[in-house]
Parts: sequence; C-alpha cells; structure tokens
Amino acid sequence: MLVISGLTAGYEDAGIVLEGIDLEVGAGESVALMGRNGMGKTTLLRAIMGHVRPTAGRVTFDGRDLTGRPPFVVSNAGIAYVPQGREIFTDFTVEENLLLGLLGKKGGAGRVPDAIYRRFPILAERRGQRAGTMSGGEQQQLAIARAIISRPRLLLLDEPAEGVQPSLVTAIAATVSAISRDEGMSVLLVEQNLDLVLTLTTRCLFVENGRIVDQSESTRLRDDATLLDRYLSV
Amino acid sequence: MAAVLLIALDAANFTLALLLVTLGLVIIFGLMNVINMAHGELFLLGAYTVVLVERRGGSFWVALLLAPLALAVAGLLIEELVIRHVYRRFIDTILATWGLSISLKQAVIVVFGPTAQQVENPLPQTVTILTTLYPGYRLFIMAVAVLLALGTFFLFYRTRLGLVARAVIANRPMAASLGLNTRRMDRMTFAFGAALAGLAGAVMAPLMSVDPQMGVGFLIPAFLSILVGGTGSLLGTVLGTTLIASAGTVVASVWTQIAAQLVVFGLAIVVIRLFPRGLTGGRRG
Amino acid sequence: MRSVGAARAATAGVWLLLTICPLALGEWRLAQLAQIMSYGIFAMSLAFVWGQTGLLCFGQAIFFGTGAYAMALITKGLLPALGDGPAMGLLAATVLPGLGALLAGMLMFRGRGLSGAYFAIVTLAAAVIAERAASHWDFIGGFNGLLDVPPLRYGFGRGRVELLATTPVYYAMLGAAGAVYGLLLWLERSPVGTALRAVRDNEQRTAYFGFDIAAYKSFSLALSGAVAGLAGGLFVTQFGFVSPALIGVPLSTEVLIWTALGGREVLLAAFLGALGVRSAESALSKALGDYWLLGLGLSFIASVVIFPRGLLGGLLSLPLPRRMVGGGDPRPSRART
Repeated sequence: MLVISGLTAGYEDAGIVLEGIDLEVGAGESVALMGRNGMGKTTLLRAIMGHVRPTAGRVTFDGRDLTGRPPFVVSNAGIAYVPQGREIFTDFTVEENLLLGLLGKKGGAGRVPDAIYRRFPILAERRGQRAGTMSGGEQQQLAIARAIISRPRLLLLDEPAEGVQPSLVTAIAATVSAISRDEGMSVLLVEQNLDLVLTLTTRCLFVENGRIVDQSESTRLRDDATLLDRYLSV
Repeated sequence: MAAVLLIALDAANFTLALLLVTLGLVIIFGLMNVINMAHGELFLLGAYTVVLVERRGGSFWVALLLAPLALAVAGLLIEELVIRHVYRRFIDTILATWGLSISLKQAVIVVFGPTAQQVENPLPQTVTILTTLYPGYRLFIMAVAVLLALGTFFLFYRTRLGLVARAVIANRPMAASLGLNTRRMDRMTFAFGAALAGLAGAVMAPLMSVDPQMGVGFLIPAFLSILVGGTGSLLGTVLGTTLIASAGTVVASVWTQIAAQLVVFGLAIVVIRLFPRGLTGGRRG
Repeated sequence: MRSVGAARAATAGVWLLLTICPLALGEWRLAQLAQIMSYGIFAMSLAFVWGQTGLLCFGQAIFFGTGAYAMALITKGLLPALGDGPAMGLLAATVLPGLGALLAGMLMFRGRGLSGAYFAIVTLAAAVIAERAASHWDFIGGFNGLLDVPPLRYGFGRGRVELLATTPVYYAMLGAAGAVYGLLLWLERSPVGTALRAVRDNEQRTAYFGFDIAAYKSFSLALSGAVAGLAGGLFVTQFGFVSPALIGVPLSTEVLIWTALGGREVLLAAFLGALGVRSAESALSKALGDYWLLGLGLSFIASVVIFPRGLLGGLLSLPLPRRMVGGGDPRPSRART
C-alpha cells in the first residue's frame, strides 16, 4: 500500500539525512522502524508527510504518487501523523483538537463521533478541558485520537511512549492495535521501546545512517538480542 | 471639559480606523508569517475605489460596498502572483511586498496623478454628544469599525473557520498534517486582510485628502501598534492600536503633529525594549 | 559551479573600466558618474549591514542624510566652532552617523534584542520621522534645506582651491569608492566578517559559541552608518544642496532597490546596482515619466522573487579566503506547509 523507493532528503543546515530509503507497508500491516537517534527515522516520517521535501526517490500510496506533495494532500490521501512531542493544540479544548482532525477532510464538517470517546474514555471526561493542562499520557491519547478520527488507512506514529508512564504505554498500544485490527489500518511506528514494538508490530526494520540496513519479524526480537545490540546500543 | 471630550472622541475615532488596518495586517502575519509592507497601499486602493466610483457618477455607499470586494480580488491576485513564491524566504516577503507597495503607489500616480483628490462627505450632519457637536460621519466610521472588529472576533473565536485559522496560527505544520488546506487558508487570509484594508481606506476617504502618499501614513502606526500590542491575540491588536492612536491624538492636540509622531515612536521603542514580544506576547517576527 | 577566475577577472575589469572612464566619457557624463559614485558608496554601506550581517535596514538614508547635513553645516560655516574645512566636514559626516548608528544599535540589540522583521519596521518608522523632523527644523533649513553647499576644496585659508574640474572630482570620488570597497572587503574576508555572516545565518547558534551578538550587530550597523554618512557628505559637495528628501523613506527605498537588484551579498554588485539604476534613470526617466518608478518597482519585485542574490551577485561573488573553503551554498529543502 505504502511504497517508498530510493527516498533521499535532508535539511538545509544538516545535509542529507535520508540516503535512499526503500520500504513497503502492506494493507493492515504494522511495521516498526528502529535505530539509534539521528539515523533518520523521524525525517523519514516527515518526508512521507510532506514536511521535508525529498531530493530524489518516490513515495506512493495505493499507487498514487505523493512525492513532495504538501502535508494536507498527504493527509487527505489517508495517511495520519502523530509527531514526536505530540504537537497538540495546547490552548484549545480536547473537543476542538479532535474536531480539527475532521475539519480538513472531505465531508468532515460534522461532529466528533462518540466512537472516538468510547475508544479513549478519558477524553470524554476531559472534553471541555484545555488540552495543555492534561498529563503527558492523556495528551498522547488525544494526539492519537485526533489522528485516527478521520479513519486513515495508515498511521505514522513517532515515539508515542516518550514522556508517558509505563502502565499507560501498554494501554495505548492495546488501543492502537485494536483499531488497526478492527479497521484494517496500517501502522508505521518509530519507537525505541521494545514492548511497544512487540505489541503493535509484526515486522521491524532497522535504520542506520539514512538507510534501511536490516529487518526481522518483531517476535524474533524477544529472544534474539543480537539485532537490538547491533543497531540500538550506543 | 468639552475640549477633553472632543480629544477623547477623536482618539476613539483614530483608534478604530487604525484597528481596521491593523487587524488585516496582524491576521496576515499570524496566519501566513508574511509582513505585508503593501498593506498601506491596499488601504490607498480602497480610498481610490471611492474616487473612481464617484467620478463615474456612482454613490459613495456603492463604493463602500465595492471597495472590499475589489480589494479581495486584488488580494487573491497578489497572493497568486507574488507572495506565493516567497513564502519560504521570510525576509524576501518584506522586500517583495515593499516592491508591491512602490508599484501600487506609482500605478495610482500614473492613473490618477500625484495630486490629492477630494471625496465628498456623505453624512455632513453633526450630532450633539453631551456638550459637544461632533461630525456624524466620524460616528459612522466608529460604528463600522466596531461592527467589523466584532465580526472579525466572532469569525475567529466562534466559528469553525476561525478554529481552523487559529490552529494554523498556533502550529502551521501540525494543522497541515491534519489535512487542513493551508494553501487555501493563505489565499483566503490575504484576500480577507486586503478587503479589510480596502474597506478601511474607503470609509476613511471622506475625512482625508486622498493622495498617493496616504498609505504609509497608516502603515507606520499600524506596525507600531503590532509591535506594542504583540501578535499573540487579536486583543493585543486592540490594545496596541488604542495606545498608539490615543497617544498620537492627545499629543497632537496639545502640541504638534511632528511631536506626536516622535512621542508615539519613542513610546513604541520603549515598550518593545521592555516587552520584546509586545504587551500580550506572541510569536516574534 | 561558478568559475572562480571569472569573478576575479570581472571585479578587476570593473575597477579598470571605472579608472579609464574619463578617457571615454564627455564632461557632463563624467560629472554625472562622479555624483552617482556617492550613491554607489551608499549602496555598499547597505550591502555590508544587510548582505553580510542580515540586518535589513529600511532607514539607511537617515545616515546618508545626516552625513549630508553635517557636511553642509560645516562647510557653509554654520557651526563656527568646527571651522569650515572639508576635512572636518567629512570627518563629521562620517563620525556623527556612525556614532548615532552605534547608539541605536546598542539600544536595539542589547538584551533580548530586536528580531529581523521588527528591525526593518523600526528603521522604516525612524526614516519617516527623520524626514518630517528635518523638514520642521529651521536651523537646518526646514522644508527647503540648505542651498549653496561649497564643492570639495583642498589647501588652507585664502590659498585653498575649490575642486571644480570634472576629472579630479571624478578621481577623488573613485578613490573614495575604492577605499571604502577595500576596507569593507577586507573586513568581510577577515574573521570578523566570518562572525558577522554567522550571526546572519544563525544567530542563536552563533550565540552558543560565545559570540556577543549585540556587539557584532552594533559594530556592523555603526560602520555601515559611517560609510553611508561619508557617502552623503561626498554627495552634497557635488550636488550643492541638501534637503529633507535625502534623509527619508524614498531614498532609503531607492538604496534598497539598487542593492537588491545588484546583489545584496556582494559589495561590488551593490555598487554597480546603484550606478546602473541611477544611470538608467537619468537616461530614461524623462522619456518614461511616472512609468519609470512603476517599472523599477515591478523589476524590484521580479528580482526578489526570481533572483534573490541580485542580477550581478553570482557573477561578482569572489571566492572566500582559502582558510574558509568548505561550506557550500546551502539549499533550503524544508517544505512550507
């Protein structure tokens, strides 16, 4: 479904970060990207979303070329994004944040569906509260809810466990995994937290110096530490 | 007593007229991160719309409706032809819009000549307020400005379009990631800001000598209002314009016009030394 | 990639051509060019503070005008305490705006400091006010300005001679332009210049390295102000007349256009931008009338959009000293959303 070939991109003050990424995510499939910091994982997600303009290569989604398209086009093609640091609108209420996940979509005028609040009961309680006043874990749930509210077919998740208490991480993983199963939503996850990778994904890719250098079944990582040692230990 | 009331009314009058110009400027800056140096000329074009319509025998009131429409279209054109190409180069937006300012002003000179044009006062009656006689048209301007400012506030804080606009201001990349069409927002924003400036120019035309230099006379106080008030919220804009316009009006009435400009400029510098983000904070330019 | 040799050859060629101009041009045109030369110096002052330090100044004419007024006041003997010598005049024309710029810089950049866009707006407002204040200040002639400013002179007392013949005046101006160019280019290529460009490209990062940002910016503005003042002082000796128009927004705008059209990051490009636009103006503005400024404004927009480095910037950009080679020309790749 998502097909990336030879993707090269960089920043004006940091040079090339992605050096020819090839990767595929199938329909309903959940894939993890692992690697040390600064290897290009976040940049890859940003390049898919259209926040970083690729200098070479292609990004296609369902056969549609999305290379270098602006983020709102990518989003409307069915790809949702939960960035590192969540980036919720802290001054707006929870409900307004969720609504913003809908307003840009075709026919997305309506109201926040109850189904979302059933998935994330805490958000129903906090509906009218200013989003910035919630805890890190609650904000993370809001960011995910805001992303999936438009029923995307692919979710890009960047370090969702960061700054979230461990008990909540498991709950969040379970929720995302349930949504992915129920709605056939694919997930591309950037994460260092092994538990999350194991719960959520079936396949794991390792990124080093802007390239995908290895891959493995996620379950194999539980027993075999060599890959993690090679690509994650500092 | 009557003199004080008169100064207060004049200050309110200038504040509200300035608010119309500044609102457009601040919205364009907040949403698009573009400092529109040509905003004064959009104001100017609004005033000349009135001149043009009246020359063709049209009434002032028709011109008043036509000006914001014409300027909205002009805004769309300018966004498409110029601004769109320099979005990613912040300083170049200042230069490009400054070039626009020069060109628009000069185009007006080519078409209408450099001399001042007169627009007849459509409401010559005076109204008694407490002990003072006050021109009716000035009161009309104040009413228009209050309505428009309230309308803009309503649009921003009470509608879904406003929610989207505020989301773009708060975090443009994230808003785009959610599928909000930032490209269309840019077009609409510039057209809306231009329309506000055009309306302000049209409504002020009967009170001013309409000449090609009148734009910069409003641009500078509008900018100073933004520096003083900050770009954090529309309320900051209100605060900034009130301070700048009132200080200017009061000093000018007891001293000279030049002294007023010097005092207002000095005041603005002191405020931005103490509060680099303006009195209400917000993103820095 | 541009050829290093071409930029060097073009730079040398330009100065050579300017040196032999008196052989080729008639009296009138040469006098014209000598006068425009002060605009060229003026444009270099802006190219330095803007192109090298990133301070987009919308009030550069404040310094030029102050220099012009200072020169006029002294050489007309209106400030008897300072005599009426041209050397003192030029000194005042340089030092006064320089000091003013230094003070303004320290005021604006110290502490949390003024950002780039705010600096542009504040200088624009200052230019508007300076022009209006000058036209209301009777000591400096008010709206009418000061007439009959004497030309450049050399010698002392009764024995001094006015410099009237065109060719010596031309060479005096060319010498001043060359000296300013040499000084600014030397600075640009010194470690100070490197620091200034670092401030321009990334202020925060430069501050992390321990550079005093406010000091560098103030220094750059002060030097630029001094050079602009010198240009104003030289200008008035040929023009013979100083008025509030020399201190306000229109001239500030013009110098911005010359510099942007020529090339903001290259001194010689800005210099030639001034010479080129001014020459074209004297040749065409009669025929074109009001359309001249309209055309100039439109070409300014076009050059900002299409050629941000100016029309001559690429051609005349000299290679950096060898110790600094390595940093390429960064291409922005971050998308606007």
